[in-house]
Amino acid sequence: MTANDRTPTGGHSGRSADERHGAPADVDTGPADGHVERRGRRTPRPGPRRRPLTGSLLARRVLGHGATYLVLIVAAVLTLGPFLFSVMTALTSTTQFAQQGPLSIPAPPVLENVVGLFTSPDGFVTPVAVTVQMVAVILVGQMVFSVLAAYAFAQLRFPGRDLLFWVYIATLMVPQVVVVVPLYLMLSEMGLRNTFWALVLPFVLGSPYAIFLLRENFRGIPSELMDAMRIDGAGTLRLLWHLVVPLNRPIIVTLVLITVVTHWNSFMWPMVITSGPEWRVITVATSALQSQYNNNWTLVMAGTTLAMLPLVILMVLFQKQITRSVGDATLR
Amino acid sequence: MTSRRPLLGWMLIAPSLIGVTCFLILPVVLAFVVSLFRWDLLGTRSFLGLDNYTSLLSDGALLNSLLVTALFTLISVPVSLAIGLVLATQLVRALPGSAVVRVIVVIPWVCAPLALGVVWKWILQPSVGALNQILGVRIEWLTDPSLALPAVAFVAIWQNVGYISLFFQAGLSRIPGSIYEAARIDGANAGQQLWFMTIPLLRPTTFFLAVTQVVASFQVFDMVFALTGGGPQRRTQVIASLIYDEAFGASRLGRASAVAVILFLLLVVITVVQHRWFSRRITYDMS
Repeated sequence: MTANDRTPTGGHSGRSADERHGAPADVDTGPADGHVERRGRRTPRPGPRRRPLTGSLLARRVLGHGATYLVLIVAAVLTLGPFLFSVMTALTSTTQFAQQGPLSIPAPPVLENVVGLFTSPDGFVTPVAVTVQMVAVILVGQMVFSVLAAYAFAQLRFPGRDLLFWVYIATLMVPQVVVVVPLYLMLSEMGLRNTFWALVLPFVLGSPYAIFLLRENFRGIPSELMDAMRIDGAGTLRLLWHLVVPLNRPIIVTLVLITVVTHWNSFMWPMVITSGPEWRVITVATSALQSQYNNNWTLVMAGTTLAMLPLVILMVLFQKQITRSVGDATLR
Repeated sequence: MTSRRPLLGWMLIAPSLIGVTCFLILPVVLAFVVSLFRWDLLGTRSFLGLDNYTSLLSDGALLNSLLVTALFTLISVPVSLAIGLVLATQLVRALPGSAVVRVIVVIPWVCAPLALGVVWKWILQPSVGALNQILGVRIEWLTDPSLALPAVAFVAIWQNVGYISLFFQAGLSRIPGSIYEAARIDGANAGQQLWFMTIPLLRPTTFFLAVTQVVASFQVFDMVFALTGGGPQRRTQVIASLIYDEAFGASRLGRASAVAVILFLLLVVITVVQHRWFSRRITYDMS
């Protein structure tokens, strides 16, 4: 029983961790009464035990917090440092950068690099537009088709369902880099190379990962609610839109964020399947900028800053959902 | 209760089934097929049998990439898990101000590895790079053959620790404080608590992270592409870089597909083995 319960598919991680809490306490004290006894003893005398210790306890507390703060500050500085350099350089004029090097504080901060990024013919206007469109189309498609499929897997019975779901799970093991060459050949054969459709087609019809996560959540919908709506004559689409989706808003928000981050940042596939500036996405444009203006770091840093800024803002705005999404992703 | 509606079920699944079949299953099958051909970007092709595999083995390209990828994984995964855990133990203490740090450390994770790679490429430049200027040295971080791979691994660790710490924070918050209280009364110090309680109790989290991080690091591409492009002397040519270079650099799609097939089989084996290994360990501990 225990072996099965604790098979760490991650899906059980929450539960198994809970189960295991008891284990060490039981093991080291033998029967649980040791635990109870301690509790009982502790309550009556909190005052007298604390007072004599105040001095050393205080010192230890400050020291403990000091070490914690040291770790936190080092982590924050090391994390933010590169971003700071990137932004600083982006705001430094080319001449100041050439004269004073990378550590100089922009005096005065200039926007010439950012402006240059947008005014040059192979600048960032097209890539930003292409990326936004690509992410929007993939997002809508993946959400709609994944919700439909997840609902069918979770709430309907039809022949082949379980086998098919197993196939979907198996495809989670297929990484992008393994399929990039055959996908390139297929879409070239279809005449779609260097088109917008090539950017979105492989992803727009739904994602097995999203379907898997949604199915887990959709299974928990109380059937009384569904039945009640069905009896009222609601069709499947109405049921989905008015009941299933609102009930599962948290996981859907999580998936929206994951999808936006993944596809805003995607690089290999867009680089391979497009050529030239027409359908260049922002990551490919950044890479091209770096190889084209090899030593013009002020311009290149303006490009990287621009590529990262939208997601950093998104991250700060949706920090709660992103933090929570970790719990959802563990279900995998 | 689920309801029995075959036609509706298939209709709802149809779009994603087309997607999965055409853009995941078919390409994997096609990768096997293409790997048996000499096939270039212009479309000319001739059947070779297993020649792509034998040539990959004999000219050392595959072995080199496997070693580079394994080394990258062996550096980046344990280090980022260890740092992530330490960071998490400090963040869950929830001192004033730690909420801000919790957000800050995850920022690199949402950024494009490609863009971060470009930023770090600049920071690590020998002459104009910020790092060498701060340290007052002139180290060729990305072009010295013995430093390039550790440097790339460092940047990957830098990007991932915050994200990894999120999982450990979630795992830590599920451990009730009462058992630490009990341990403290029994005289266990902080080190003992970490080693004998926290780490064993976090095993499900660690397992999940180890599997996903190893699998992810076997697929790393963007960051390597931006930082080194696979050089110097192929010292950072990970498997994905080899696939890209063979296919779109050397126009050898057959050879690239052979590498892809090997990577795919390797990932399947890694996933299965890790799963077996960890479940046995946990079963053993619990018995």
